[in-house]
Parts: sequence; structure tokens; C-alpha cells
Amino acid sequence: MDNKLERLSADRAPNWFQRNKKTLALLTMVAPGAIWLLLLRYLPIGGIVLAFKNYKIFPRNPTFWSNLAHSKWVGLKNFEFIFKTDQALVAIRNTLLYNIVFIILGCIIPVAFAIMMNEFTKKFVAKAYQTMMFFPYFLSWVVVSYFLNAFIDAQYGMIPAAQAAAGKEVVSWYTTTRPWPAIIIFANLWKNVGYSTVLYLAAITGIDANQYEAAAIDGATKWQQIRYVTLPHLRTMISILLILNVGKIFAADFGLFYNVPMQNGALFSVTQVIDTYIYRVFITTGNISQSSAAGLLQNVIGFVCIMLANAVVKRIDPESSLF
Amino acid sequence: MTKNHRLNSISAGTEAIFHVIIGLFSIGCIIPFIFVIIISFSAESSIREIGYSFLPKAWSAATYTYAVQRLPQIWRSYFNSVLITVVGTVLSTLMCALYSYALFRPDFKFRGFFNFLSFFTMIFGGGLVPTYVICTQILGLRENYAALIVPLLVSPFNIIIMRTFFKSSVPLELVEAATIDGSGEYSTFFRVVLPIAKPGLATIALLNSLAYWNDWYLSLLYIRQNKILQPLQALLMELQNNVEYLNRMSASLGSSAIQEAMRAPTQTLRMVLVVLIVVPIACAYPFFQRYIVAGLTIGSVKG
Amino acid sequence: MKKIIALALALIMVFALVGTQAYADKSDAVTLKIWFHGSNVAPDSSKKVLDELNVYLQDKIGAKLEVIWGTWGDFDQAVVTALAGGDDVDMVFTCNWSADEYNRYARDGYWVKLDDMLPEYAPDLLALIPEGIWECAKTNGYDGMGIYAIPALKDTATQNCWDVNGTLLAALGYDVDEVCAKGLDYYSDEFEEMLQKAKDYMAAQGENDFYPLCVEPMVLERLVNVSSIVTGDLGGGNVLSYYYDKDHPANDIGSVIVNKFGTPEFEAYAKRTYELAQKGFISPSIQNVGTSNDYRTACQNSGAYLISTQSYAYGCEIDFSNARGIDVRMVPASAPYMDATSGQGAMMAISAVSKNPEKALEFLNLLNTDPYVMTTLNYGLEGFTFEKNEDGTISFIEEGRSTYSPWRNGMGNVRILPPTADEGLTYWDDFAAYYNSAEALPYGAFIFDSSVVETEGAAIANIFAEYAFNLCSGATDPEAVLPEFLQKLEAAGMSDFVAAANDQLAAFLG
Repeated sequence: MDNKLERLSADRAPNWFQRNKKTLALLTMVAPGAIWLLLLRYLPIGGIVLAFKNYKIFPRNPTFWSNLAHSKWVGLKNFEFIFKTDQALVAIRNTLLYNIVFIILGCIIPVAFAIMMNEFTKKFVAKAYQTMMFFPYFLSWVVVSYFLNAFIDAQYGMIPAAQAAAGKEVVSWYTTTRPWPAIIIFANLWKNVGYSTVLYLAAITGIDANQYEAAAIDGATKWQQIRYVTLPHLRTMISILLILNVGKIFAADFGLFYNVPMQNGALFSVTQVIDTYIYRVFITTGNISQSSAAGLLQNVIGFVCIMLANAVVKRIDPESSLF
Repeated sequence: MTKNHRLNSISAGTEAIFHVIIGLFSIGCIIPFIFVIIISFSAESSIREIGYSFLPKAWSAATYTYAVQRLPQIWRSYFNSVLITVVGTVLSTLMCALYSYALFRPDFKFRGFFNFLSFFTMIFGGGLVPTYVICTQILGLRENYAALIVPLLVSPFNIIIMRTFFKSSVPLELVEAATIDGSGEYSTFFRVVLPIAKPGLATIALLNSLAYWNDWYLSLLYIRQNKILQPLQALLMELQNNVEYLNRMSASLGSSAIQEAMRAPTQTLRMVLVVLIVVPIACAYPFFQRYIVAGLTIGSVKG
Repeated sequence: MKKIIALALALIMVFALVGTQAYADKSDAVTLKIWFHGSNVAPDSSKKVLDELNVYLQDKIGAKLEVIWGTWGDFDQAVVTALAGGDDVDMVFTCNWSADEYNRYARDGYWVKLDDMLPEYAPDLLALIPEGIWECAKTNGYDGMGIYAIPALKDTATQNCWDVNGTLLAALGYDVDEVCAKGLDYYSDEFEEMLQKAKDYMAAQGENDFYPLCVEPMVLERLVNVSSIVTGDLGGGNVLSYYYDKDHPANDIGSVIVNKFGTPEFEAYAKRTYELAQKGFISPSIQNVGTSNDYRTACQNSGAYLISTQSYAYGCEIDFSNARGIDVRMVPASAPYMDATSGQGAMMAISAVSKNPEKALEFLNLLNTDPYVMTTLNYGLEGFTFEKNEDGTISFIEEGRSTYSPWRNGMGNVRILPPTADEGLTYWDDFAAYYNSAEALPYGAFIFDSSVVETEGAAIANIFAEYAFNLCSGATDPEAVLPEFLQKLEAAGMSDFVAAANDQLAAFLG
């Protein structure tokens, strides 16, 4: 059928549709997603101006867009509160430091785990591990905070009880800052490692088995196979996830920093991050213009970081870059 | 054969170390969930006396009874959740695969444009209120199932991940060969590409299904009057928020609100709700896993 | 695969169509949409009740009612988005503690100003609500000073009480009536002795983890220092205090609005609380923000406390005694008072979006004055959720009531409801007598508009979150922490914040 058509069209000059058949077919493939993006992401994007306005209702025609149009421009005033106080600076510092640690450990550990799990001779064990690793993904931070509480609660916790029994000084965990950076980092890894490991595992399983066989025939040891077959193959996934994480460097996982320390003020110097800071401002002022200003700032910084990271990756390895 | 096998696998000692590392971590991942189950069956009085503990003083299923009684709609909500998750996962995975496949093709003319189109929305958005306005007032996404499905259909993150899966598992020569054989674009995609990309596809489907199953925010925004459509997670979140809110406010609300607060088993309720929501989806997990780990067998045991 | 796509797309279309059809309005009568807070109403029961109520309403005012039954858990988040997005709702619950905070939303133009409409569309209501409560509803809104919502005639006064476990107190050998009549002094040795006795008593019973003082820290501070909440203070917590006369709140004792944490009273309170906590009278679980509320409620419900705090609601000691199975006593720490905070505890506003604000006001007039409408909407239908008794009281039918129980006080004038058998025939008269006896504070219905110092407020909010709870719960030593806290507050502009409040107060009092 197709051949016949081609022969037919070969007689005459191919028309526009035939010349662009492939592109048209690929366009129909992106069409559903693209339409969705236009409707649900690009149509509302005008709302960004909210960050530069003092949003009020326009009673004569109180629809959202007319309210927005009639609200006063206030320039950068909505951004002021983010830089106004020492608290905000502490929050920014904490966000950046934690994110750097998360990015590094959150890359190395899952890759290592995925490679290790790929080497297990008994596959059902690997499956069992993988299933277990995914469980943290199901538990909300609120629930996790109560789990942690079972260990460190001053009244009932197992650790203070053990300390007391051993005659040691009992640490008041929710007012002592020292252990918290470690707790936060551990909690973050605990929650996210399983998720990333699954992504890397899926990428590893996409490797053509023949490549390993060929390497083995050439006399490569297992370590060499990992180094010369597995890792190069994971390179794209690693760099893509890295770039995406770098883009989130100015944003923090609200639930982790808000719930796990149970909102205790004495820990703010090590648990306050930009998102919790903004949240506390928002519940105070209820100003949606301010909160969209904060969100916009986070996005702009994230965008710049992603572009930089992408440019760096592109120079090293064009294939692994985001675009 | 034996020689080959030895060459192709790590030493028993190394594997044992790997087992210890991964095993410990995995146990660390599962223990909190066991903890949640234990607390969900603990008596409230036990928690008050000895706190959250792996060994409660008294057991009780009273909170489960309370939850089911308070939520006459729970079975309907289970049905809603399953429906939304199945329809949503199929649609979103398909849309994601199609979109990212086109981005994966280096010979696609508008590749850069559509790549950026999706990536840009990952960073910038109009924010909650403008999106809400578009969805409810222009797209009619309110008080219907579509409102619970459509807003989660496309995830730029998943598109990027899926494209990476295609890149790392589908040889371009294969696509070219299929085209030369006269296969149409769609037939190449469904017959040649997707079977190879199965682990990636299963991963994306897994992520999508979790997103749908766990979502409660869409229901909070878009389902207000027709609450019969509420998915399970929304129903449970609402109950939990109700109870927490009343606890927080009990000193300042009137007596009718206080009475309500007194009936609620706060501390165990949180855990019961987790069990109710997690168990069904955890049961569905092996289904996806079959495809994700299926490749493992091909990948390395071959000797 | 293609079939699946086609099927799925078809499904989506069907859902979308079904959805829009179901909510397209077909009748001619005006439909009013109202949004309540704190409801527990199943969809079927709602339909049943509204179908019957709407027949009556159509006859009476030519309108039909559609209800969004907001719950405690979803109201705050949903209402903010819906109102900012301009959803078509006619009437919305508002007050000074919900996310759609009455004064702020009035300022930003969300509510319709009602002053000119009231005499024409709600004359009964205008006459019904006492002048003092109308005063509380007056706020400086988008269209100038005026009334932007109908205040609910419910528990309209505030009284801070000690919640005392009478059963335990008796077991310690005290004469409960005498102790309660005398009142409790937080700083006295007797107070401490009482706590110590309770702790020893429980320890003798083998209960070593007993903490007699089971309080809500921020409430305890107001209770002990006899200070009121300044309406319009920070949304996330209170940083301002206004001290009033304990026995006669209306007495002018020369108070101004002060920085809550900068007074000698607060320092004394923080020291005393820290001291009591050090002696093991306050549980560490109370001092942990994350477990405080859960733990306090659990202890109160099981009677595992000696002294607690409660913002009094009329008749609540009876409910508590029944529910906890102990003799609960409410010991007033001060007389009941009225201010804007209590007057604005529950209100119904008409949204600026409403196409029929007059009709909406007519409906609110009816809701607050017609016992049938109030009873039906609040309690449901006779034979379904309740039954009438011969003496004029009602009894609930548990089966129906469990699927239809809105938040009673959130609707409006609850005093026209029939009393339940438990409450007794004279309940609403006693209720009204108690609340009407409350004196107004010297600064009357003052409302602080903190939007003029919003930047300071934003900075203060985070410092407040860092220190206030720990100081109020006795978790941190004020000697070490209080100066640092005050210094940070100062740096964030606390003086300007307080000065703005006092300037407005001076202007308000003329």
C-alpha cells in the first residue's frame, strides 16, 4: 500500500504533505502534550504579574483578570520581605547548604545502589530490596516526624530513655541544634534514594546485554565492565538529574523542614529554609502577591542555575545536556 | 560457561558486602511503615501513657472502626481513586511517551522548540490562582472526574526522564531501519520502540500512578459540592485535617466544635489513614516492578 | 494501543460533558450559593434537606439555596483560592481567625458593604442584633468604614477559665467547691503545692509520667496576664497585648497596646512557667510544638491532668464532664468581656462577585430570624435528623444526624434554635443572659489594620515563631533567651508595629 503510494507520487512531484509526512506524524505525537501545556501552563502564565501588583478586588467587575488589571503596580515591593531580615538570610544560607549536600549525596548513593543491585545474583532479592526502598515515598513527612519522635521524644523517646538508663546526660533533642543537620540530611536521603535508584535501575536495564558479553569476551573484569559499560551508559541520566536538581537549589522541600523538626523555634538556625520562611510570612499577612513574588524569585534563580549547569554539561558532553 | 560466569559476576565476598549495605538501607525504609501499622492498631490510651512505641501497652482496632464510620463514602472513594488512577496513568503515560519520543528523534524539525516548550513550564508557571481560574472558568474542570485527571496529565520532569530512557535504550539505527522497511511513524513507535523502552515506560507509569493515587489537592480545589467524586486520599486528608484543626482551635471554638474534637482519636487516626491509602497501591507495585526489573535478568545473569 | 487512546479520550469528553451538564442551572428562580465552615454533611443528606428547604425559600423570598459544605480541614485552603479567583459564590463564611480574615478581605474589596442595604433588605436582622455587636462588625473596608458581614449571634464574649479536674482535686483532699470559688493564683505557693500533691499522688499510684499542668501555652499567657487579643494582630500568632481589669473589664485602667513580650508581666510569667516546668509540672510533649495539641487533647479527654486552660463556651463544663467521665470545673480567671475579636467570631459576608446581593441579604435576614429556616439548615429535618419532644425540646436521631451536622455556631443566630433535651428548655435564655452580661473592653470594638506595617509584620512573624512558643510553654529559660528575643524583635521593627497600633487606637477613640 505504502509502496504503491510512493510509486504513484514518484511520478509527479511530491506534494507538501508527502514531503513533510514525517514531521507531520511527529507533530501529531507532541500535539496532545503541547495543547495541554498551552492550556494549563501557558494560559495562566500572565498571572506572574501578580508578583508586581498589590492584588485587590475590583468590585465593578470582580473577575480574576479584571481584578489583576485594576490592581496597583508596586514594582519590587513584594520582594522586599525576602531580604529584609537576618532570619531570611539564615534561611537562604540553610537552603543553599542543604541543597548542595543533597545534590552530591543524592547523586552518588542512588547510582552506587543501582549498580550494586544490578550485580545481585538472586534477582528476587533485588526485587525485594527495591520494593522496600520505595516505601518512604508513600509516607508523608508528617508521619515521618512522628516516627522520629518515637526515638527522640523527651518524655517517651527510646534514645533519651536509654541515655537516662545509662546514667548519661539526657539531650533535649527538640531544643538542641547540633544533631539536626545530620537528621535532616539522613531523612532526605532516606526518602529520595529509593526513587532515584529506580530511575537508574531502569536505565541500567536498558543496556544491551551483548555489550557486557562483548566486554567479558575481551577479558574485562566486572569492575571494568561497570566502569566502561554501565557508567558511560548512565551518564545521560546522571547529568540530566543533576541539572534538574541544580535548578531547585533555591527551593527546599517544605514538608521536610517544617514537619520533621516539629516546627520548634529553637532549631530555626539549622532548620529554617526559604520555603518555611515564606510560609510563615504568608500565614501572617495572607498576601498572595508576596507569596507569588517569592515563588517567582525562586524560579528565576532556578532558571539561571539550570541554564548555567546545562551550558557546562553541553561543553563537556553535548549528548547529555538538557537541550 | 563456568568461566564466563565467574568473569561476569562479582566475588561472593563483595556481593555479601553489597547485601549488607543495601539490606540495611532497605530495612531502614520498611521499618517506619511497620511502625505506622503498629501505631494504627495501638489503643489511644497506650500512646498517652508510653508515647509512640513499637510495643504498645494495649491493642485496638477502634480507630479503624471510627474512620469507616465517619466516612460512609469510603468505598465509593476507593472506586474513584482506582478509576482516576487507571485512566490518568494510561493517558498521562501515553502522552508522555509520545511527546518525549518526538523529542528523542534527532531528525524532528521542531525538536528544540517543543523541548523548550515543556522544559520552561517546569520552572515558570502562572501560580495557583491563575491556573485555578483557567481550569474552572475556561476549561470547565470543576465538580467532575476530568478535574481530577486533566491537571496532572503532563509532567515536564517525566518527559525529560522518558526522553533520557529512549536515548539510552533505543538505537537510532533501529528506527531508521524500520522507516526504510516502510513502517509508518506510529507503527514504528508502537511495534519497535515501545517494547524496547518497556522498563522506562513502566517507571514513568509507576510515577504517574503514584501521583494520581496520592493526590488530594485537586479534589480540594475542584470538588466542593459534588463530593461523591472525592478520591480516597482527599477524603482521608480532609478527615485528618478536620481533627487536627479542631485540636488546635478547641480553646477558642464553641462547644459543638469541642464535642466533635473530643470524639476523634487523633494520634492513631493519622496512622490508620496512611495504612488505608498505602496498602492498595503497594499491592499494585509489583505489577510495575515486573517490567522494571525484568531487564535485570537479561542484563546480567546471562553467562 | 490506538484503541486505548480513543477510548480514553472519549471517556474524558464524557466526563467533561456530564460535569458541565449536571451543574448547569435550569430553573428561573434566583439561586444563591452559600459557603459554610466546619460542616460534616454527606452529599445525600444535603440534597434531602435542601430540597425541602428550597420549597419554603422559593415561596418566601423567591430564591433557591445551594450550599458548599466547607469542612474544618478544607475551608481555609479552598476559600482563599476560590475568592481570589472570583468564583461565583454569593455568601461566604468569614471571621477573624479563618483564612479569609474578615477585616483584611473587607479592605481588599472581597465583601459587599451592607450599611445602606440593611434597612431595606434586612430590617428584622438590623433590629435583632444588639448595637454592641454591630459595632464589632464595623471595619475600615474597601468602601470606607462600615459593616461588611452579618455577625452571628452566638457565643459573643470571651472568658478565660482554668479547667480543673475536680475528681482528682477531691482525691487530693481538697474541698473542690471552696478551691474553685476562691479562684487560682498562678504565682501562689498554694498553686504549686496543689500541683506537687497531684504529682506525688499519681506517683504513688505508679504513674511516674504525670504532668498536672496541661495547658495551651499561648492561652495560658493571656489567662495569667489578663490580656486580650488585639483584633488585627499578626495572623500566625499574637505579639500584641492589651491588659484589662480582671473583675470589671469595662473599667479603664489606662491601658495602651503593648509589645506582649516586652512587659514586666510577661517576664514574670515566663520565669514562673519555666520554674514550674523545671519542677516537672509541664510535660515536655506540651513544650514541643508538633505534639502539643495532640497531647493536651489526649490528656484532657482521658482526665490525666489537674489544671488546664479553656476559653469558656457557655455550658461546656457539662459537655466536658460527660465526655471525660470526671467532674470538670471551670474556674474563671477573669470576667467575660466583649471586643471585636469575640464579636467577629463567626460572620456571613456577601461576596463582591454575587449577582444578587440584595437577595442574598434577604436570605440572611430570614436565616437569622426565621426559626424554621435556621433549624432546618442547622439541625436538618424532623423525622430524619431530629424528633420533637412534648416539652418543646428536640432529640437527635443519631443515624441521620451523623450524616448531617453542620457547625452550629457558624451559621448565624443560634438563639432561635429549639433546645435539645440535654440542654433543657431554658438553655437559650440562660445562654443569652450569660453573653449579654459581658462588658465591653475600654477600647471597644477596636480593629488594628496591620497592613500599613506589613513588612515589619512579615519580619516579626518569623522571630515570633522562633521564640514565643518556647517561652510561653516554659521550655527555655527567659533569663537567657528573653533579652535576645526582644532585641531581635526591635531590629525587625516591633516599635513601629506597636506605635502604628496605638496611633490607630488613638484615632479610633477620637
